[in-house]
Amino acid sequence: MSLLLSACLMTVPAIAPASAKDEPRRRWTIFADRIYTGAGRTVEGGMVVVNNGQISMLSVSRNDDDAQAETLKVFAVTPGMIDASVRITSGFPSVEQSREIAPDVRVADTLDVFAIDWSRQLRSGVTTVLVNPPDFDVIGGLGVVLKTGGPENIAARAVKPDAVLRGAMGRQPSDNNHPAFGRPSDFYSRRPTTRMGVEWEWRKAFYDAAASQRDVERGFPGSDRLVAVLKGELTLSIQAWTTQDIRTAVFLKEEIEREGLGTPRMFLDAAAEAWREPQLLVRSKTAVVLPPFQAEGRFSQQDGEASFMAWNVAKLLTDEGVLVALSSHGAEGLEGRLGMQAGYAMRGGLTFDQALAAVTINPARLLGVDSRVGTIEVGKDADLVLWSGPPFEPASRVVGVVLNGVLAIDPRPHE
Amino acid sequence: MIVSTLLAAALAVAVPPQRTDAPRPFAIQADKVLLGDGRAIENGVILVEGGVIRAVGAGVEVPRNASLHVHKGVASAGMIAMHSFSGAATGLRDSTRPVMPGVEIALAFDPEHEDFSKALAAGITSVVLTPPPQSLAGGVSALVKTSGGHIVTRNAQLSLGFSGQSLSTNKFPTSYSEALAELDRQFAKPTGAIAQAVSGKLPVLLETTTRQDVQRALAFAVKHKLSGAINGAAWAGELAAEIRESKLAVVCGPLDIGEDARSLRAVRALADAGIPFGFGLDAPWKDPAALRFGAALCVRAGLAPAAAWRGLTSGAAQILGVGDRIGSLERGREADIVLWSGDPLELASTVEAVYVDGVCVIGAER
Repeated sequence: MSLLLSACLMTVPAIAPASAKDEPRRRWTIFADRIYTGAGRTVEGGMVVVNNGQISMLSVSRNDDDAQAETLKVFAVTPGMIDASVRITSGFPSVEQSREIAPDVRVADTLDVFAIDWSRQLRSGVTTVLVNPPDFDVIGGLGVVLKTGGPENIAARAVKPDAVLRGAMGRQPSDNNHPAFGRPSDFYSRRPTTRMGVEWEWRKAFYDAAASQRDVERGFPGSDRLVAVLKGELTLSIQAWTTQDIRTAVFLKEEIEREGLGTPRMFLDAAAEAWREPQLLVRSKTAVVLPPFQAEGRFSQQDGEASFMAWNVAKLLTDEGVLVALSSHGAEGLEGRLGMQAGYAMRGGLTFDQALAAVTINPARLLGVDSRVGTIEVGKDADLVLWSGPPFEPASRVVGVVLNGVLAIDPRPHE
Repeated sequence: MIVSTLLAAALAVAVPPQRTDAPRPFAIQADKVLLGDGRAIENGVILVEGGVIRAVGAGVEVPRNASLHVHKGVASAGMIAMHSFSGAATGLRDSTRPVMPGVEIALAFDPEHEDFSKALAAGITSVVLTPPPQSLAGGVSALVKTSGGHIVTRNAQLSLGFSGQSLSTNKFPTSYSEALAELDRQFAKPTGAIAQAVSGKLPVLLETTTRQDVQRALAFAVKHKLSGAINGAAWAGELAAEIRESKLAVVCGPLDIGEDARSLRAVRALADAGIPFGFGLDAPWKDPAALRFGAALCVRAGLAPAAAWRGLTSGAAQILGVGDRIGSLERGREADIVLWSGDPLELASTVEAVYVDGVCVIGAER
């Protein structure tokens, strides 16, 4: 299976490289004092061999006779980090606001591969991200999982196109709308204008989509994507910051199941106040992506919704059995670095292994790409972060990044 | 031919006296004749009759009934501006609908407008009037002469918008993805100009601003098997490999004094990759003199002079599918000739005379 995948990897880019001599080196042997595989195993004094975009060997260090591989030596290696909620879109042009329910709109068509934010993410050790449309719509469209580097083409970087159906509960989708007052001058004179209306739009969309399977007249552009969600074929990601919005989202899912409309797979994004409803999340098997930890734990309306999340929330939820992934959610500066978020979560009580999982294999599972990324295992994509010290410690730096088996960030001093 | 000389005769009554009619054959001899494909002839002679070039060469025999004009300087084909809003800038924008491919910009052609005499004075004899780039499918461009009111090609290119200018915050569509989806819907059931583009009869003009727009436009053109050109993105040349695979041409500029080096290098990258290109003008927002200056700046940044001149003349004509009619000084071509004081790519050179369809519209004929 992985051979097939690697064959696909090799043939996917439609863009020919500039010339054969510009081809980056694809064989590396990386020695490290600690290799944290994320698969339940830490190799001390070990080596990872990378070949043709994949991990080809992982073992305790020994003399490597491979003359074709070049070697690197670092303190620690972890799998490339995965951010399940980034905001590297084109802003307004990345979401279709002429309608509130737009499940057929693909955010991948709106992304700019030349944006500097991709290399920022890459340099901080994040190799795979989920990009969602901005949450100005109730249902904004299809998010895409892609690598933060590689060929200069969005389609070639996609790990999983149309990976999740994205929408939001709460106030944000209703922000730009206003009730009809006098003569409406544009399409913003519409519902929803409150978070009640937002939930109503969700429920109507699902009921219409479910009915469209028997009655074609009830269908609408994108209703087939909602049907895929009902059948459990397409994962649903709902942004829900506050306690009430988290409850609303989960209750909606449970209503869908109870009414026999389907069995959706769902995770919540920016679920800052998930710590108030852990049992609800466990009972409904809902995973959460947390927004970045704030210094005082408070989010303002500008961040999304006014809400509160202390630094021990990741531990609290993990201990209750909720699957937790950390994210940067578009934050700039230090808190935008996923490696720092993992460190904050550890300060809040997570063990190192739990923090590593929260930025690697947990988001990989959430996004359905764990067969390719999330751990250091033979056959998986060669996405590695090379650290100068223990990962996630504030004094440690990301000194190197391997992406798709190519040394994207070079740890060696420049000549 | 008869129609154009009649037209010229009719106009001669209404226009200022320095315009002279020349229905009889004439010849121009210049120190240097630029043929338009990079070759030059020393002491070349161009023989014109009936608005058409009859012969070009060093030893052309001038018939007895033909007048001979000896020019100290360079003679070349008239330049072609590949993208412009001459004469109708404020009247072209229609934001009522994003898709209106049936609009013909030729209907907005006002040959008496001063934009055309200004272009003429800068040595530009043909201009592509383009729909504004703010629509998804804004209409069909027209190739016109800057003097005489002659429309060379009434339906030159179908304009399609791939830049952020085609989007709005309060009108459909607001996103790149929906804009693409709408274009796909239009192309799935093509009618009119879109059907002509799909069948290959009408080339497209893809309006872009950023390299990402260019990538989207290329993907769309390849998907629907369209031919034509890309306009707008200053750094399109950095995607030369992808553009070459798509077999589309590029309209560069408008470039001007003070253009940043990266844009100029991008033009050179197109030439290095063998991609056909021309230069846009965007009058009246840019002075017509900028067309030649922009090309000269590219030469300064490393573009071969022959490639720059081709982009201004014969290359542009070929991209527009009229390479057998304009853009070069060869037997059978329409007599659009410019007489320069020196090498046109030297910024100090000036226009001394301009002929359009064999009629001398600038400069006294001796």
